[in-house]
Amino acid sequence: MSIKRVLIIDDEETIQTVVQFGIKMAVGWDVLTAGSGVQGIAVAQTEQPDVILLDVMMPDMDGISTFKALQAQTATENIPVIFLTAKAQTAEKRQFSSLGVSGVITKPFNSLQLPEQISRILHWDGER
Amino acid sequence: MKQQDSIQAELRQQKQRVELFSEVTLKIRQSLQLKEILHTTVTEVQRILHADRVLIYQVLPDGTGKTISESVLPNYPVLMDWEFPAEVFPADYQQLYAQGRVRAIADVHDPASGLAECLVEFVDQFGIQAKLIVPIVQTLNMPSSEGGGKGAIAKNQLWGLLIAHQCRSARQWVEFELELMQQLADQISIALSQAQLLEHLEEMVEARTAELQEANRHLQQEITVRMQAETALRQSEEQLRLITNALPVLISYVDDQQQYRFNNQAYQDWLGQAPAHIFGQHLKQVWGKQCYQRMQGYVEAALSGQVVSYENEIELQDGSGRAVDVTYIPHRDGDKAVRGFFSLTSDISDRKAIERMKDEFISIISHELRTPLTSLHSALKILATGRLGNLSVEGQQMLAIADESTERLVRLVNNVLDLQRIESGKVVMEQQPCNAANLMVQAAEAMQAMAQHQGIILVTQTEEMTVWADADYILQTLTNLLSNAIKFSHSGSQVWLTVGVADRDTLPEAEMRDRPCQFDGAAVFRVQDEGQGIPNNQLERIFERFQQVDSSDSRKKGGTGLGLAICRKIIEQHGGKIWAESTPGSGSTFAFTLPAMIPAHLTERREECPSSVS
Repeated sequence: MSIKRVLIIDDEETIQTVVQFGIKMAVGWDVLTAGSGVQGIAVAQTEQPDVILLDVMMPDMDGISTFKALQAQTATENIPVIFLTAKAQTAEKRQFSSLGVSGVITKPFNSLQLPEQISRILHWDGER
Repeated sequence: MKQQDSIQAELRQQKQRVELFSEVTLKIRQSLQLKEILHTTVTEVQRILHADRVLIYQVLPDGTGKTISESVLPNYPVLMDWEFPAEVFPADYQQLYAQGRVRAIADVHDPASGLAECLVEFVDQFGIQAKLIVPIVQTLNMPSSEGGGKGAIAKNQLWGLLIAHQCRSARQWVEFELELMQQLADQISIALSQAQLLEHLEEMVEARTAELQEANRHLQQEITVRMQAETALRQSEEQLRLITNALPVLISYVDDQQQYRFNNQAYQDWLGQAPAHIFGQHLKQVWGKQCYQRMQGYVEAALSGQVVSYENEIELQDGSGRAVDVTYIPHRDGDKAVRGFFSLTSDISDRKAIERMKDEFISIISHELRTPLTSLHSALKILATGRLGNLSVEGQQMLAIADESTERLVRLVNNVLDLQRIESGKVVMEQQPCNAANLMVQAAEAMQAMAQHQGIILVTQTEEMTVWADADYILQTLTNLLSNAIKFSHSGSQVWLTVGVADRDTLPEAEMRDRPCQFDGAAVFRVQDEGQGIPNNQLERIFERFQQVDSSDSRKKGGTGLGLAICRKIIEQHGGKIWAESTPGSGSTFAFTLPAMIPAHLTERREECPSSVS
């Protein structure tokens, strides 16, 4: 499997760090980080990552607004987005999938296992 | 001429006498009082006759007698109240007088007068020289004992004597004097009859008065009793009104036509509608169409005789909304027919707000805990790879403890949120027909690895039946119960997962409203182990939060203390029951029931389930 580029958008710096470390350590992918929705959109436009991990609960611009903004721009509309959220209920999961989100990973997660979860959601396994 | 003069004198005298009679008679008749009549009589006779003494002697029933009225000149002894012995007036004399004998004795000492020797002696002591005696006869109207009291027998009885005495000399009594005495005796006789009538009349009046007074007293008493009862009723009503008006809840009585018959003051305070205004109005008029639609079903249930309790949203007069708790209590009359219901409505807005705050708080806390937990969890896992530098054996041991504790913290946060969501009703069980065997197999497969790791043999015995359940939550329940059973079993022992048919009454009725009618049976799932068992007094308690049989032991096994509380909530939301049975030392059984469609071949194999468990 080729080296993927992952963008993590989370206001929590420790999350950015453990995600970066975990993914790099597990599979050696590149991990870009952003601390807010606005910053994340900018990075996504310029860096064109293979997947965006987007925290749902963020101050100012939350995950859902950020996702809608990404979808609204041609430069970013095709980048798959996976929500990072607290244990989601069936109803929330339904709401997210109706928005067009590729998938949901619930917190707390083990960052070492993220590449495996991402690959399963985005069906990257076949590329191996 | 002389003869003519004497005739004229005779005529004058006669005229005078007639006038005298009528004068005396008139005087006598002026009174109805017998005593007064008698007194007038003796006074008048004494005056007219110029007698020394005139008296009325009353004959008493025992033959004795006494003077009861007397007019006597000052220089003679008074006989008034003298009692005469019987022998002075023998019975045969009485008999003669009763027949109307009149005796005029000119000189008591003259033997020709025929007065007995003893009587002469008797009258001598009073210095009586001449006497004139006229009987007073009373005509008694005796009601006859026969003939129903209609007829009456008249009987003459000697009542007494009117007697004139001359003491200063003997006296020749003239015809006129005799006549006067007789006439007056007759008047007394009439007066006696009148007095008797009067007395009778008075008796009657008295009796009638007594009767009236008695009736009046009864009436008065009844009035008093009624007034007391009325006062008591008014007081009790007033108290009831004071109490109901003082309570910050809506209290009312609604009749079977759904019209208000009683409302307390709170209706005025909350809705701006005075009780007097609401009286007789239909529920719909008071609450409006929309609110009434939410009430209608419960109102009809109450009027069919059920006690109902529900929550509703109402609008106050200021337009603000309120969450209320409503209870209807049916009112039955003697024939058990429902006449109406009592309604209690209390404001639970504050409680609701607090519940909401609590739910939000728990929700936020568990969300907020997840972010640092994710960092902690991931960081520890990364450290454990050893690629950031090798740790000593002790260092690795410490890391393992940190890692395990983090995982437990994650489970705890998950469980708290789970329980809160189920309790707050945010989670609705999406019940649908599920194959019981499928659920059991899935749960057993999920727990197979853990069982193997602990050296436990997991035995599953399925039956083909369909339960009315939310598969995800029932799986969660089954895996939780299996995980507990495995945790508390000795290596090499067995854990069974079975299903059977239970009695219908193991499913609380109220929860069954949306269940399809073919799910009219009950399935009972059992998870049985051969572990240490649970003391009987803890079988109920273990379903409460953070209640573990042996917390130190349980913590070692990695439990959160919330698993069984969640299981109970899940099963209750399904309309089922969950309970534990145990024989300490030889194992426990956890069982729960669910609405189920029972195939015909299984209906006879009903199992015994405790009906008192909750």
